Amino acid sequence: MRRDVWRNFDYWLFGTVVILILIGIAMIRSAIAGSPGLAGIEQDQAVFAVLGLIGLLVLAAIDYRYWSALTRVMYIAAVVALIGIYIVGEAVFGSSRWFNLGGISIQPSELAKIVMILVLADYFARSKDKEHDLAWIGKSLLLTMGVVVWILLQPNLSTSILLIVIWAAMLWISGLKIKYILTFGLVGTVLVLGSFQFWPEYQQERVFNFLTSGDEEDARYGETYNVEQALISIGSGGLTGQGYGQGTQIQLRFLKVRHTDFIFSVMAHEFGFVGTAVVILMLIFVVLRCFYIARTASDMFGALIAYGFGFLIFFQMSVNIGVNLRLLPVTGLTLPFISYGGSSLFSLLVGIGLVESVAAHRYSTD
Amino acid sequence: MMGINRLQGIGYLMALGAILIVVQLVRIQTNVSAQKYSEVAAQTYNYETKVITPERGNIYDRWGSLLAGNTKVYEVGVSRNELGGEKNRETIARAAADILGLNYTEVLRLINGTYEEDGLLYVTLGSNFTPEQVNQLIELNRQYEDLPTPPKGQVNPSLRGMHWVPSLRRSYPEGRLASNVLGFYYYGGGAGEQGGYLGVEQKYEHLLAGRPTKVSVAVNPNAVEEIPDVPPGASIVLTIDREIQAMTEEVLDKAVEESGSKGGTIIIMDPRNGDILAMATNPRLDPNNYSEYYEIFPEDQPLNPAVSLTYEPGSVFKVLTMAAAIDAGVVTPDTEFVDTGVYMAGGLPIYNWDRGAWGPQTMTGCMQHSLNVCLSWVADQLGPTQFYEYLKAFGIDHRTNIDLADERIWPLRLPGDPYWTPLSLATNSFGQGLATTPIQMITAISALANDGKMMAPHVMHSYVQDGRQYEFKSIVLGSPVSAETARTVTEMLAQSLEQEASNALVPGYRVAGKTGTGEIAKGAEGYSTNLTNASFVGWGPVDDPRFIVYVWLQEPTSSPWGSVVAAPVFSEVVQKLVVYLNLPPDDIRLQLSP
Repeated sequence: MRRDVWRNFDYWLFGTVVILILIGIAMIRSAIAGSPGLAGIEQDQAVFAVLGLIGLLVLAAIDYRYWSALTRVMYIAAVVALIGIYIVGEAVFGSSRWFNLGGISIQPSELAKIVMILVLADYFARSKDKEHDLAWIGKSLLLTMGVVVWILLQPNLSTSILLIVIWAAMLWISGLKIKYILTFGLVGTVLVLGSFQFWPEYQQERVFNFLTSGDEEDARYGETYNVEQALISIGSGGLTGQGYGQGTQIQLRFLKVRHTDFIFSVMAHEFGFVGTAVVILMLIFVVLRCFYIARTASDMFGALIAYGFGFLIFFQMSVNIGVNLRLLPVTGLTLPFISYGGSSLFSLLVGIGLVESVAAHRYSTD
Repeated sequence: MMGINRLQGIGYLMALGAILIVVQLVRIQTNVSAQKYSEVAAQTYNYETKVITPERGNIYDRWGSLLAGNTKVYEVGVSRNELGGEKNRETIARAAADILGLNYTEVLRLINGTYEEDGLLYVTLGSNFTPEQVNQLIELNRQYEDLPTPPKGQVNPSLRGMHWVPSLRRSYPEGRLASNVLGFYYYGGGAGEQGGYLGVEQKYEHLLAGRPTKVSVAVNPNAVEEIPDVPPGASIVLTIDREIQAMTEEVLDKAVEESGSKGGTIIIMDPRNGDILAMATNPRLDPNNYSEYYEIFPEDQPLNPAVSLTYEPGSVFKVLTMAAAIDAGVVTPDTEFVDTGVYMAGGLPIYNWDRGAWGPQTMTGCMQHSLNVCLSWVADQLGPTQFYEYLKAFGIDHRTNIDLADERIWPLRLPGDPYWTPLSLATNSFGQGLATTPIQMITAISALANDGKMMAPHVMHSYVQDGRQYEFKSIVLGSPVSAETARTVTEMLAQSLEQEASNALVPGYRVAGKTGTGEIAKGAEGYSTNLTNASFVGWGPVDDPRFIVYVWLQEPTSSPWGSVVAAPVFSEVVQKLVVYLNLPPDDIRLQLSP
């Protein structure tokens, strides 16, 4: 059996992920050059990457089907952790999202993504032969909202939206009827528009700035500053970029949060269209690889795990790049495998570990 | 395992997203705005604007002695990320202790701190070190660098990481001398707070500071350009004579001490052109050390009371009342007045300083004995309209506009104003119920020493800008009285001093003058009987006045009377002043002139 595992292990997926992480660390290093407050964080990222890759290999070796039995425990643990943040968490940039364990900040909402995919995969796999009626949908929604509501309260709208989108995507793939989609689409639109006035001010501002293209006089200090600087960075990158460690926008620190949310702009500025296209293609390759594993998985649970993670990576990537390119309003979603963020990277690698486990245990049902 | 159609649906969605991203990426990078973005990036970030501040102009006395200049000082600091090991750090701390006089452990603690603790990569050890100290550091550094390569495992001591940066600092080589006139340069806490503060430093900030020049400097070190030379600020030459100022300050300090006064002021002016030759005040500040300001000047005591502190001048003001009355022709020096010891004004009685009745007196006698009753009557002869017209002509209702910062006045109350009563006319006639600054008094009375012409007082003689010298032109403020009146009053006041055998008399020189003892109003309790302002104004030589001196002692405790404490100060100042002015005694001078 052990040999089986490594025979079916997806080396293409693993290899691409490793290369993406290395590119990410290199980009972070360039992005933070000369910022003493951030010195050395690329090493932190490398440490998380190594830990995550070890976790990936361990998880790949373990049969993912075991997790099916543990979904209930994980679900409760995730909710408890999210509630726990209010008691011992640390507020960063106006929202409490972090646990601080001996110098390492852990973001439970990142781990909640994995748990949510496992829980939903388990639910939809178990109920695949049942009637796909409103009760079936409602139960899955309740499961999702049980976690989302705590993340929404942090407040962390982007992760909340991400989880709901994943729920919708998994619902779709599990055979959601078209008539429900039309109904939900209508209700959803009305709800979003109707509740806009009740959103926190900073979110209203972001949407507003996005829609009005933010023609403020003093954009340097306004909400649009980051997006404006990102556009300048990408626009002045050109076909091949200004060269690694040579981007004036980055090295002179005009682009803010450049090692996290706007790392895509850093790449576009220093490596140009060619560089970003390569990275986008690699990310799409990872997504397609996950979908391929989903299609060839030996059971519904495994297929849904692989599909869910593939979709998560795709969604996060599109939203992040969309923000950088000013296609979407500013959110806090990072670029998978590239952006700085220990919890984010670690949970992504855990996810890939689960997908690899699905791949490795494809033909061993007998 | 999954519905292949459903997966295809997702695939289409993803393809749509991917296409959108690529289209937008290409759009941003290829259309016209790409060029615009590159340009914005280049413009905003490849150049930065720097403001080059010119060297501040010097201040000299009228003979060219330096009163305010700039000296080179060094800031010494340590760049933490350049530091080596223990030995390097200890060497720096040792050098800082031995050469810069700092505390060894304190320096070691500072340089061993980390960015995480205090957010500093560069720590400043001090910003006011002399070139000699820095030369010692350079010498020490050279010795360390010349050491032979140490054996393996050992390191040489070094000052690596220690930096010294020169800058100019305002300095006042004469210390406290004329510091009330100079003001000081304030280094401030934040941007825009620096600059000249009070005195000449503030008044002529626009000249001294020069024109800060903005230059665009390339951020790229390969594109450095020459930074243009910025001309220094203008230098200012004062009318102040360093020697006379020093002498006056010395006399004043002694007088303040001996009389037990709270403070004092002496102004010496040339009545012919308004040049201030000396303006001594007590107490004084060392402008090199302006942080002591609030210790030296408590409460409302200003840096320069000569222009910034108003007080009720008392009987010296009678000079103006008498000049006005003689100029208007309502009295002559020989007009007789019978002093009964009391004069009713607005229903209230006015008494003399000794509450005595002095009987029949000429106007000269009235001035000699300083009779309030007599002067109240004189003011009545003038009438309020004429009296206040004269005061306005003497400038009692407005600033002299002397070229010193922070000149203040007390508003003159005129008939019709809410607080003016008929009693005011009487009290104003002998300098009570109104307040003036010493500079207002000396300026007004200087008209009598200059044939009725009142000259604008000023401390700037000329300024030197871009190699050219610009002279200050004397300005006539006005002619409040005729030349004849001026001479008549001068003669009256010379005679009254002589007849009284006053303490103010100067051997060999005929001077005119008047004492004053101003009572001090303290809040609601009315006038205090034992707190006074003792003043004296005098000028000479009577036939051709070359100087006018104003003396004010604040709240003397040895005696309240101006004639006792202020008059001898005048005499002492003038006896020394004539030497500096090369002014021969009257008999010799009159023989010399044809």
